[in-house]
Amino acid sequence: MRNIDRTETSGLADRVARRVRLSMAGRAGLAMVLLGLVTVRLPLGAQEPPAKSVAGPAATGSPSLSQVVAQAQTKAVKIYGAGGLKGLESYQSGFLISATGHILTAWNYVLDTESGEVTVILHDGRRMTATMVGADPRLEIAVLKVEGEDLPFMSLPSAVSVEPGARVLAFSNLFNVATGDEPVSVLKGIVSAKTPLSARRGGFETTYNGTVYVLDAMTNNPGAAGGMLTDRKGRLIGMLGKELKNSLNNTWLNYAMPISEISGAVDDILAGRVRPRAAAAAENAKKPKEPATLALLGLSLVPDVLPKTPPFIDRVIPGSSAAKAGVLADDLVLFVNDRTISSCKGLREELTFIDRLDEVRIIVQRGQDLKEFVLECGDQ
Amino acid sequence: MVRASWLALCVAALSFPGRLMAQADVTELEEEAFRAAVRRIAPSVVRIETIGGLEKVGNLLVGEGPTTGLVVSDDGFIVSSAFNFAQQPTSILISLPSGERAAARIVARDNSRMLVLLKVNSTAKLPVPEMVPVAEMRPGQWSIAVGRTFEGQVPNASVGVLSAVNRIWGKAIQTDAKISPSNYGGPLIDIRGRVLGVLVPLSPQAKGDQPELAGAELYDSGIGFAVPMAELLPRLERWKKGENLESGLMGVVLKGQDNNSDPAEIGLVQVKSPAAAAGFKAGDKIVELGGSPITRLGELKHALGRYYAGESVAATVQRGTERVTATLTLVSKLEPYAHPFLGILPRRVPARGPNGDALPGVPVRWVYPESGAAKAGLKADDRIVACGGAPVATVRELQDRVSANEAGQKVSLSVIRGMETLSVEIAATALPEEIPADLPPAAAAASAPAKPNDGKPGEAKADEAKGNDAKANEGGKAGEPPALGVVPIRLVEDKNECMAYVPSNYDASTPSGLVVWLHAPGGYDEKDVVERWKGVCERYGLILLAPKAAKPERWTPDEVEFIRKTMDEVSKRYTIDASRVVVHGYQGGGSMAWLVATGRRETVRGVSLVDAGPPPRGNYPETDPFQRLAIHFAGTPKSPRAATLEESIKRLRDAKFPVTFGTLDQARDLNETELDELMRWVDTLDRI
Repeated sequence: MRNIDRTETSGLADRVARRVRLSMAGRAGLAMVLLGLVTVRLPLGAQEPPAKSVAGPAATGSPSLSQVVAQAQTKAVKIYGAGGLKGLESYQSGFLISATGHILTAWNYVLDTESGEVTVILHDGRRMTATMVGADPRLEIAVLKVEGEDLPFMSLPSAVSVEPGARVLAFSNLFNVATGDEPVSVLKGIVSAKTPLSARRGGFETTYNGTVYVLDAMTNNPGAAGGMLTDRKGRLIGMLGKELKNSLNNTWLNYAMPISEISGAVDDILAGRVRPRAAAAAENAKKPKEPATLALLGLSLVPDVLPKTPPFIDRVIPGSSAAKAGVLADDLVLFVNDRTISSCKGLREELTFIDRLDEVRIIVQRGQDLKEFVLECGDQ
Repeated sequence: MVRASWLALCVAALSFPGRLMAQADVTELEEEAFRAAVRRIAPSVVRIETIGGLEKVGNLLVGEGPTTGLVVSDDGFIVSSAFNFAQQPTSILISLPSGERAAARIVARDNSRMLVLLKVNSTAKLPVPEMVPVAEMRPGQWSIAVGRTFEGQVPNASVGVLSAVNRIWGKAIQTDAKISPSNYGGPLIDIRGRVLGVLVPLSPQAKGDQPELAGAELYDSGIGFAVPMAELLPRLERWKKGENLESGLMGVVLKGQDNNSDPAEIGLVQVKSPAAAAGFKAGDKIVELGGSPITRLGELKHALGRYYAGESVAATVQRGTERVTATLTLVSKLEPYAHPFLGILPRRVPARGPNGDALPGVPVRWVYPESGAAKAGLKADDRIVACGGAPVATVRELQDRVSANEAGQKVSLSVIRGMETLSVEIAATALPEEIPADLPPAAAAASAPAKPNDGKPGEAKADEAKGNDAKANEGGKAGEPPALGVVPIRLVEDKNECMAYVPSNYDASTPSGLVVWLHAPGGYDEKDVVERWKGVCERYGLILLAPKAAKPERWTPDEVEFIRKTMDEVSKRYTIDASRVVVHGYQGGGSMAWLVATGRRETVRGVSLVDAGPPPRGNYPETDPFQRLAIHFAGTPKSPRAATLEESIKRLRDAKFPVTFGTLDQARDLNETELDELMRWVDTLDRI
């Protein structure tokens, strides 16, 4: 068993307390995280298998879970950089992706130091300075480089993909629990869902809009970003993302980005093909110059007086596309081009994504019936 | 490897090729079993979307994202968590397994287990899942929480074990799978894909303004609850007809407070209640309910929690050596309890005989004219020695005995008058709302029986005590003489200031009333306060407590706790009459007084608001036989709030609270005469 320095533990408690306060009611799950740390790490300390002597998965069938964990932990690194103020922790996680010291991590403010260099601590306690090779702001990933040879690493091309229900292990230095040569923390859980993040506008504050693995363990806490997700055989599946709150139901999201979604970008970074940072504005760029409007469709809504005024139609302009299609006053607009609309504001916002030359398909509720209409923008 | 073989069986039941079984390891089989279970339940798990509604419920920002429901009947009925509809949406949409979206409406609610029943506007026949009876559930078995809140065809799942059955007063089962708005309303299933329960946030303390949100703060914590569906199925037909399911009430008020130690002894059987119909009586101990033996109060709550109003349950009580069993049909609402009033003001210390010995019984200080006691012929200085056949030695015992009745009932008393013992029967009425114009002094004369209306001994005491006047110190602990005059009350943990004013005629052997005065915006000046209150405190045997808000311009609701602590502190130092603890305030102080009084029913017996009223929204208090609350308002009909106040008074009177109203000529604080009258009201609060 390793000793945890007393001051370090109380420091952790402080941070935990702070985090719990910061996130209001949300993170009662923290207790479980800590519990997870203890239960998983105790047997490790007891056995302490030297990492190099662990047989690979192919040799004798399945390695034990503790062997898998011990081996994966040698590939994880702790990253220290900018931050340290107002709930912005100055640390995060990463993992080696080449024998020569390439590290994949989350592109985050921690990497944003004045010198452009961050400190990396390897599994054996070696402290190194890392330089930034490149980053993809759209995917929010970055590749760092430390000097090294024959380092243990996770091979991106060997990464696998899993389905919901699969048991997974998440490795990260969440809450900076591990210091020096202490192995990073491991949490176990299952994949709850495999789902695109971008499916509803405004659901998540991130520029990443690909598929994620949603996990049922409390994996994405401060410091966990850049950690690795493996299956229970230790095969790489994904990278833990930044902390995200699901604004659709105000819960914290525990998730990882599949390697298949990011390996192309890593290749580009390694090859020096830096992606444009402007991609972050991609969402807005999709907006047409001349979008559809309610007036052009022949609709006017009830006065927008509440934060979430239901989009009831107040009036249909005679002779307009809406009138011809049969839309009536008091119809409640539920969908526009298959996107759920929950308020007057939401409806106006959605129309800004539709070019006025395109058709607008709406579904309305009339009494207890749903009715579908296809509308076109008329001339001004 | 018991689990391995058991799992193998499960998986075999799900018809996997035998070849796979031989090769795959247990973990893989488990994973496949999780997936198979989710696949089996998936067609019955629907996504719910809501349109419109509130942005915020209480302090919680509610999301507008999709939530989950579970099919319970093939003709389009879906159950979900009340949490998902707390924002009161304008419109509800359900995505059926076919991909079709259909409108839905809330048919009925379950206000005990916080569920809603929805009806989909569709003719499609929906797949009803298999439900597991609670008797078959074993803590430790796999449990998988399923929701449909993320995009995609496959529902989201979280795996855990069943942590417990019979939680939240028998209403729910518990799991360590991650339960959150991502799966509230969805099913908790076993490894075979059968439904254990419907996921809901719940809290054992659930009450308050938003009961549907209670327990939501535990999301993703490893403590999650589900309502066992098998228990709800027998109620489904009733529910489908649109009848809300409500907690079932028996109509008894229990004597004890501690769930874990006190027996379930009936303190009061409410009139026109199921318990009254069953012939239960105060003093009976409930020993069995619905087949479950009951020894402690908590067990009764547990046994009763699973029943709804309208259902019948067998209950057995122990009455002396006898056991009485009856079937009670539970109700959702009881008539509000109307406190009985006999028409007596008691003396606060026992009467003494010629040789100075305390005489048994509760001496009568005054009989209200026209009251039941007056009609029965009771007189001042009669001593009440028994009520309803049981002896009473103190005012408190007499109050408790009388409280086991309600207004409209008859209460029998044994009374000693001189050398005679009389038996009288008094028709109890409702508590009076008028303030008597004149009262004899409360202090018992040393030879009171001989000189009934003599107020002199009290005055004499005041004269003697004058030497001590206004010596402020912090003594007053046992052994030391208590501090009189202005006494600072300091609490180590609070920075708020507070003072008490103890009149010079304070006497530790006679209990004093306690008036907690909460200042209006602007704070107060100590001298002015003493000037205003000195006379009434002496006249009516009262101690004044004047806490200060941290910011003098206004009270904040969390200062209720500080005020409570100052009240406890004063009660520790001085002899306080528990029947005369009153919270009083003008304007903002009045609103705060309402918060303190309704939040501290166990100690506050009166609340007085001047040019202020209860909050227009929010829960109103209910009467309680053992926690009396008298209410006083003073205001002017010219106030813009007059109509709201009138409405509040009506509601409180309907709830059987005695409400005294004083009309003011304009919006202002009480003048000297009015304050004196109010303190006379405080002086009557130990009325019986």
